[in-house]
Amino acid sequence: MRALVLTVNRLAWFVPTLLGLLAITFTISHLIPADPIAFIAGDNATAEQIAALKAKFGVDKPIPVQLWNYVLGVAQGDFGVSLYTQRPIVDDLVGRLPATLELAFVSIVASAILGIPLGVLAAVRRNSWLDHALRVFTVSGLAIAAFWLAILFQLLFAMRLGWTPLQGRVDGWGPDVITGFFLIDSAVAGDWGVFRDVVAHMILPAVTLGFPAMATVMRFTRAGVLDAINSNYVDYQLAMGVPHRVVIWRYVLRNALIGTVTQLGLILGNLIANAVVVEAVFDWPGLGLYAVNSILQSDYNAIMGFTLVIGAVFIIANLLVDVTHGLIDPRESH
Amino acid sequence: MRLFDHSPRLVRLAAAAVLAAGAAVAAPAQAGGKFIFANSSAYDTLDPHAIFDVGRVASRINLYDGLMRWFDNPPHLEPWLAEKVDISDDGLTYTFTLRDAKFHDGSPVEASDVAYSIDRILEMKKGAYSLFEGTVAPGSTKAPDAKTVVFTLSKPSAIFLATVPEIHVVNEELVRANEADGDLGTAWLSKNDAGSGSFRLTRYDPAIGWQATRFEDHFFGWDMVEDPLDTIEFRTVVEINSRVLGLMNGDFHGTDGYLPQDQVKRLAASENVVVDEQESMRIFYSIIHNGRPPMNDVNFRKALSYSFDYDGFIDNILSGSVARDPVPLPNNMWGAPADVEGYTYDLEKAKEHLAMVKEEVREITLGALAGYGQTEQAAALLQNGLNKIGIESKIVSETWPVASGKMRDEEQMYDPLFLWKSTYYADPNNWLGEMYACEQIGARNNSWYCNEEVDALLSEARTSTDQALRKANYEKANRLLMEDAAGIFVYNTKWFGPFNKDVKGVRFSPIGNGQEMRWVSMD
Repeated sequence: MRALVLTVNRLAWFVPTLLGLLAITFTISHLIPADPIAFIAGDNATAEQIAALKAKFGVDKPIPVQLWNYVLGVAQGDFGVSLYTQRPIVDDLVGRLPATLELAFVSIVASAILGIPLGVLAAVRRNSWLDHALRVFTVSGLAIAAFWLAILFQLLFAMRLGWTPLQGRVDGWGPDVITGFFLIDSAVAGDWGVFRDVVAHMILPAVTLGFPAMATVMRFTRAGVLDAINSNYVDYQLAMGVPHRVVIWRYVLRNALIGTVTQLGLILGNLIANAVVVEAVFDWPGLGLYAVNSILQSDYNAIMGFTLVIGAVFIIANLLVDVTHGLIDPRESH
Repeated sequence: MRLFDHSPRLVRLAAAAVLAAGAAVAAPAQAGGKFIFANSSAYDTLDPHAIFDVGRVASRINLYDGLMRWFDNPPHLEPWLAEKVDISDDGLTYTFTLRDAKFHDGSPVEASDVAYSIDRILEMKKGAYSLFEGTVAPGSTKAPDAKTVVFTLSKPSAIFLATVPEIHVVNEELVRANEADGDLGTAWLSKNDAGSGSFRLTRYDPAIGWQATRFEDHFFGWDMVEDPLDTIEFRTVVEINSRVLGLMNGDFHGTDGYLPQDQVKRLAASENVVVDEQESMRIFYSIIHNGRPPMNDVNFRKALSYSFDYDGFIDNILSGSVARDPVPLPNNMWGAPADVEGYTYDLEKAKEHLAMVKEEVREITLGALAGYGQTEQAAALLQNGLNKIGIESKIVSETWPVASGKMRDEEQMYDPLFLWKSTYYADPNNWLGEMYACEQIGARNNSWYCNEEVDALLSEARTSTDQALRKANYEKANRLLMEDAAGIFVYNTKWFGPFNKDVKGVRFSPIGNGQEMRWVSMD
């Protein structure tokens, strides 16, 4: 019941949170002294040409008026058109979002699958050589810059060893789009050759993106397990003859994961932020590059569009984290 | 007066020469093939009338045709969709006769399509609009019959013909059929093709790039190239390192020719890559705000010009990969005086001129473009020189949208600002006329420089059809601008076009950047 109330409560805050995000981003992006219209009009544009374009796009109006018009449009499902391409922003977002989400999802799943067991292992064998080695590993994961790691991976695995593709999401143009998630689309089409190709292209960017996430997951799991392992209930269960392995993986881990799951919600935000760099290096056609280009060009509607989408993804992810808390921790449900 | 009353023989002859040169060193070619180009700029639109930059020229010149076209280096103008052009004696009426050509949907290219294309440019006010604004009035271009299109200019313009290649002809019927809410078909044309060019669009994804296949019915035919490409693909690859590694790895067959020298050397050392070097037409200089003290004093501007270490910048920072250019016109463009030495790094002379400055000398703001390392390095080098002669300065590095907005505002404009000026059409007016004509102040003249003598020379050269007079005027204007230290003129760019070793027949032109793929074949 409490989980339901929590979920409804979070959903109720969804719209005001997005509106706040929208207002802040809109104001900041419009206060930057950039002139996207002059940029669009080109090097040789005249003042009259620029003025005419500003009137056409409505950017000659006061910022509050522009914001109000934008909110009205969004309320009707209209995110506006790109100042540069005149295409609806929704089209651009729909075309790119699946690429970023697929990469982020694979990275976060991989980081959880690897990070949680390694974290448990490090805690159980505390202060052993394995623990020290894993600690160095995790510190490296958090300290190494993503672009540097990406280039190293490219040089080693793609250029020298030839094990993986150098860049891109797939050879050629990929499977026919159903969901935009190439792993799913190629599997649904039964095209396993393309599926393998997509997996091969996914490895280096996913590992680059997932490495710091895995390090975070591992450290939080280790800390959580160490905290839980000293509890009385653990001593009791061991005294009752429950096997050590069962105690760790069934009881201790469940308690230890609360902090880790919270982190996973936050990690998603970091993954999307880091995706900007990783997508650039691996030529990954996702939202990160679109966001950077839009900011550099001050394409207002595009900036607002991806901010809203990423904001919504982040809010939903954290909602899922809250719900998952309820499932892991029975106290949350009562 | 009749010009170009011939089939494009020169184009064919030049193409034959280039291709023969390629064939001489090439192994027997395989038919067709797919060429993949890694492009640094994102193809966020394919509308040929919405964009007018060098970075995305490939979509315009491969998918579309114009009446005229630039070829080779130094660039020469040849008829393309036009068979001939007649120019009236008063220089106001240009009558083009079209050759037989088809759009990609099989419909004929007609004069009305040309008239529609120029009117579309004028109405959209984007891309190449500024080239025609004030010269071609909306609705003034007529199509008396299917093969004849008549441009009646509002005023004589010596550069009109040079700008005609930017009128990329679109299929009027197709574009009109895809208009929505009076948008001139911009949304549809941003991701579709309505051209007659050598290649026909087959795929487009703004996040990835575009792909096109050879258009067998192209008017120029394909007999000039033994094994023309079947498919071309231009992919967006933003990171320099990724483009370079991809080329070395054989994933790509070409990338842009303005890479940093360390990357050019890396590519040249790769067994998969050959690098073609040519002097281009893209000058690097610093705008100086001539309208604001103390830069409105010629002695202060000369002090600035003598404080920049030209040789250090070119030889050390750029490894000698560019050509010193002391005037605001590329060395290899007609109208550039050969005997001008220009300023040198001479701090004693800088001090002498600084001592003659009447206004109070204040701290100045050196502008640079964020993300364009050379501009930041140049600003730092100038700051170093200025420090030594006692001029305080601060460097402000901002993104291009920010800088381009400030450049048009007299109050916000930087004191000096380092940047490039590219070739949009191969005529001295592209540089001198745009950069220093008084009537362009605040628009294309971002120096707030107005010298009556220079202005008279530029104005006469812009309207006269006397080539000798034009050349003399531009040479004199160059000298005056250099004497006036209107800007800090540094170098003319060299193009280092990296291509896969199997690629043959690339024809570099500063306007097309070597990206017109109809001449290319692969072993």
